[in-house]
Amino acid sequence: MKLSLNWIKDYVKIPDDMDLTRLAYDLTMSTVEVEGVERLADRFNKIIVGEIIEVLPHPNADKLRICRVNIGEEVKDIVCGGSNLEAGMKVVVACPGAMVRWHGEGEPVEIKNAKLRGVESFGMICASVEVGLADLFPAAEEHEIMDVTALDATAGTPIAEALDLDDIILEIDNKSMTNRPDLWGHYGIAREIAALYDLPLVEFEKYVPETTEEYDVKILDADRCPRYIGAKILGLSVKPSPFEMQSRIWRVGMRPINALVDITNYVMLATGQPTHVFDSTHIIDHIEVRCAAAGEKLQLLNDKDLQLSADDLVIADAEGAVALAGVMGGAKDSVLPETESVILEVANFESRGIRRTALRYDNRTEASSRYEKAIDPERCDQALSMAMELFAELYPEMKVTAFKDLYCNKLEQKEIDVDFDWLDRRLGKRIPQDVVKAKLGAMGYEVTFNEKGMHIIVPTWRSTGDVSIKADIMEEVARMYGYENFEATTITTSFDGAINQLDTDLVRKIKEYLAFRCNMQEIFTYPWMSEECVNALMPNTDGVLALATPPSPSEKYIKSSLLPNICKAIVKNERNFDEFDIFEEAQVYLDKDYTDDYPGEKLPCQKKHLGCAFVGNSDNISALFRRAKGVIGMMPRYTHMEGYTFEKVEKPYWADETVWLNIMLNGKKIGDLALLSKKAALACGIKVLSAVLVELDMDALVPFKSRTNRFVRMPEFPMNDYDLSFLVDSMVKWDEIYAAAMSKNNALLRDVLFVDEYKGKQIPVGKKSITVRLVIGSDEKTLTGDEIEQVANSVLKRLTKTIGAEIRA
Amino acid sequence: MKEKLDALLKEGAAKIEAAQTEAELQEVKGALLGKQGSVTELLKEIPKLDVAVRPEMGKAINNVKNLLAEQIEGRREALKLKASEIPADFDCTIPGFQPKIGGLHPITQMCYDLNDAFRSMGFEVFSGPEITSEYYAFDNLNFPPNHPARESMDTYWLEGHDSGSASDKLCLRPHLTGDSVRYMQTHKPPYRFVYPGRVYRNETTDARHERAFFQYEALIVDKDFTYTAGKVMIKSILSKVFGQDVPVRMRAGFFPFVEPGFEIDMGCLVCGGKGCSVCKHVGWIEIMPGGTPHPNVLRAAGLDPDEYTGFYVNIGLDRLVMMRYGVDDVRLFHSTDLRFLKQFN
Repeated sequence: MKLSLNWIKDYVKIPDDMDLTRLAYDLTMSTVEVEGVERLADRFNKIIVGEIIEVLPHPNADKLRICRVNIGEEVKDIVCGGSNLEAGMKVVVACPGAMVRWHGEGEPVEIKNAKLRGVESFGMICASVEVGLADLFPAAEEHEIMDVTALDATAGTPIAEALDLDDIILEIDNKSMTNRPDLWGHYGIAREIAALYDLPLVEFEKYVPETTEEYDVKILDADRCPRYIGAKILGLSVKPSPFEMQSRIWRVGMRPINALVDITNYVMLATGQPTHVFDSTHIIDHIEVRCAAAGEKLQLLNDKDLQLSADDLVIADAEGAVALAGVMGGAKDSVLPETESVILEVANFESRGIRRTALRYDNRTEASSRYEKAIDPERCDQALSMAMELFAELYPEMKVTAFKDLYCNKLEQKEIDVDFDWLDRRLGKRIPQDVVKAKLGAMGYEVTFNEKGMHIIVPTWRSTGDVSIKADIMEEVARMYGYENFEATTITTSFDGAINQLDTDLVRKIKEYLAFRCNMQEIFTYPWMSEECVNALMPNTDGVLALATPPSPSEKYIKSSLLPNICKAIVKNERNFDEFDIFEEAQVYLDKDYTDDYPGEKLPCQKKHLGCAFVGNSDNISALFRRAKGVIGMMPRYTHMEGYTFEKVEKPYWADETVWLNIMLNGKKIGDLALLSKKAALACGIKVLSAVLVELDMDALVPFKSRTNRFVRMPEFPMNDYDLSFLVDSMVKWDEIYAAAMSKNNALLRDVLFVDEYKGKQIPVGKKSITVRLVIGSDEKTLTGDEIEQVANSVLKRLTKTIGAEIRA
Repeated sequence: MKEKLDALLKEGAAKIEAAQTEAELQEVKGALLGKQGSVTELLKEIPKLDVAVRPEMGKAINNVKNLLAEQIEGRREALKLKASEIPADFDCTIPGFQPKIGGLHPITQMCYDLNDAFRSMGFEVFSGPEITSEYYAFDNLNFPPNHPARESMDTYWLEGHDSGSASDKLCLRPHLTGDSVRYMQTHKPPYRFVYPGRVYRNETTDARHERAFFQYEALIVDKDFTYTAGKVMIKSILSKVFGQDVPVRMRAGFFPFVEPGFEIDMGCLVCGGKGCSVCKHVGWIEIMPGGTPHPNVLRAAGLDPDEYTGFYVNIGLDRLVMMRYGVDDVRLFHSTDLRFLKQFN
């Protein structure tokens, strides 16, 4: 919202020597965020009034003229293509150094002396659009330059001075005052400034109608319309409003239209209370405020044709809706070129209904955005008073012939008791009671002291929801006293034990293990899953929760598994990388096992899951699989939690027929590790690469209370590696080989390690070559070659016997 | 002769020391001890000498000869140790092998930095469920009925759970603040905890707006906690995260679940508060809302607001990370694009 400081000064006497930076800072700290302070005249730097002495033809261009222009001290030649140039005319001259917009478009550019078609030109004679004044001086056609002959200003006068634009424009962040309906006009901000600096505030006189004739107003829904003032005014006409009024409306970002409309906008910008005028000849019989009939039709001022909902509040006459209450007038019944009499509306509408209607038709307006903040009905008085004064000023002949103030629902002012003791404790500081009373009083609070503290009556304009409890009063006192005037205090705390959060720490340990030890990259995905991947990875969507208003129709389901989105991430990265490992830790949601951990709600099952993808070329699935299994297999050891095992219990739907494992903890399945089947990969859109996916229920993991690593003495005598290669049937599993090798309890055989597996050339079909490494050693002595050989031979014998191993020829 | 010999020894020693390669040394050796070497030439002159001095001079020359030979061998050893066995064309400008490096998401990194800072000040870390009832998302937090935020255009309601009472209606949490009530309901005061997490808003996205984003909230609840102590807390945390003293200011702000509410600004670190494009020329950057928990929120947690008060802040993690690295599009955080994510490892 933009505010004119001159306008604010109508209501509060701000000293002329007030430091504006300070004012903006104080407002920002205590009330609303001031985003900008602009000296209006700065926009018109080096733009002055010039008087054309003579218009000469341009030797080299038909459409250009050379104007001899008096710019005050001297006369200059300016080349110009304007269509309305005449000797004796006063024009706007942008001197070198001024900023203008060429034809009103693009970024402002700096004017420089230039040669135009071979003729030297000093600056530029401007069209109104080029100096940002088109709203105040509309041009009849494109090449018309701005004519200021009517101004009482001599050549050389800065245009800002000639147009009386010596003003400061404050730009307020609207978001910082959504809770303050009282601030959406100049008067409200003036009240805050008055309270901040202890300055007097101008009061409005209440309007007393002269006529006793009652205008016929009916309110059919008093909850939606607590108050409606209707006044029939004759003796009017459609004409431009005075320049000063137009100028103020323009300064704060609206467009002057004509005097009747300008009055309503001016009143709204001043008081924050929207008003409206109808052409009274178009209002049939009376005005009624009611909810629309479903399907009722209304054409708005902006020509939108609406089919109304029964939830819309409308202003209607005997024949039907004439305006969308609090949002916008109808096209047919508002001010028309021939309007000579109006019905002035000053009304109060319930906020939420106005918001619903404005959003329903995507038609938010200056009026609706104010109403939806909850304006108090008492403010109608201010707006009425000001509107009537302006009508009388602009139309001395005007006459109010009928009037009605139908005030059905009076607003209840909030009353609050505040203990001084409480206030002191919360503020951490004692503020003198007279200071408290004065500050609150300046903001409109009625304060009376009693034994323990004060009784406060909240002003109507703060009683629509903004202020209702003593904490609100404390805030009012603190912000007016100045948040910066409170000394910093240290945090006092009691120490009752160190923080020990095993589960929280485990999540972090796992993530850091994956990222830093296993070189995987953490990713984040949205909670909604793309349907494509859902269909590829899940047999059905039973038990999957969905959004009522999803981001897109194909992203309706929310995560019951992390894998669909991880697959999507694979698709995305496949283009740039041919090998990568990613993981995500996030919540999944299931439409089952509802819990009531907290009073007042039942929530669906929600768990923390870990999802991983190990992605690489399809030519070495074994390596890919082992990469994944290594990372997941070693995780319990390096993150200090209870270990789990891999078993084949139930194949995941999305998994390859052969390459899959379940992750088991204490007999319960807590996750899967498997190769994504080719079919599922293609359905997800993964074109080339293969992926081993892992999904794990992190809530099932059990962190150790402390570290369980145990020191083992280093062997005193050397351990010997002994590699052994042999052929076995290709269906024999490593687990069986290991079990067979280790089956006899031989103290010298320390371990059997997997080295390599080979199938292919030189290996008979149906067989595979396995290389293992035997770790052989003794605690008592250094073994001789013979002794080592003996152990190895016994292992080989066992392997031959149990799993049919044969030494490769 | 004697002087000649002394000079020769001195000169020879210098030449030996000056030799930088074995080849040079060999040359020096030839010049001194070779067939036409200076020492050899001297030896040739002995027969011309007086017989009486011959033995003495012969001895002296041989002595010099031996000394020089010894020095040459010493120098040869030194040069051998100094020399590299690697051919001289070895290129040290070849880039190193890149270790394969993974990493945490930049938001996780920032979150952990904050966790560490808060932990050091005695805060617990808490996390709540992402699907919440309307009751915990709004009612408990003092949002009036029909508050605009409750509408489906702002909140993601769940299908089949989007009507009925506040306890029946379920949504993806629109903010974290509801979790603070959950924590307080299940723990004993005084409280000191943080509850980071992801929240969801149904809105149109652009470079500055996302449907899923990260918040980091911290709450202290105790008897008679003043807002100025809160300011000290924020200053400590930010100074820890940014590694330097950060000026902080608190100004009037409004949020339904706090009273009074503040907008908290930190001094712009780019310009040091002088004003630059990053801080829109005001020297301050708005980083978080905060305030005293609204009495109704404390009541929802089962506390007497006359007895307890506190301090709350809500740090926008995405924004803090964007500031930390100069990221200009918030949507990148959920892009899963490894080209982006790997930049922060």
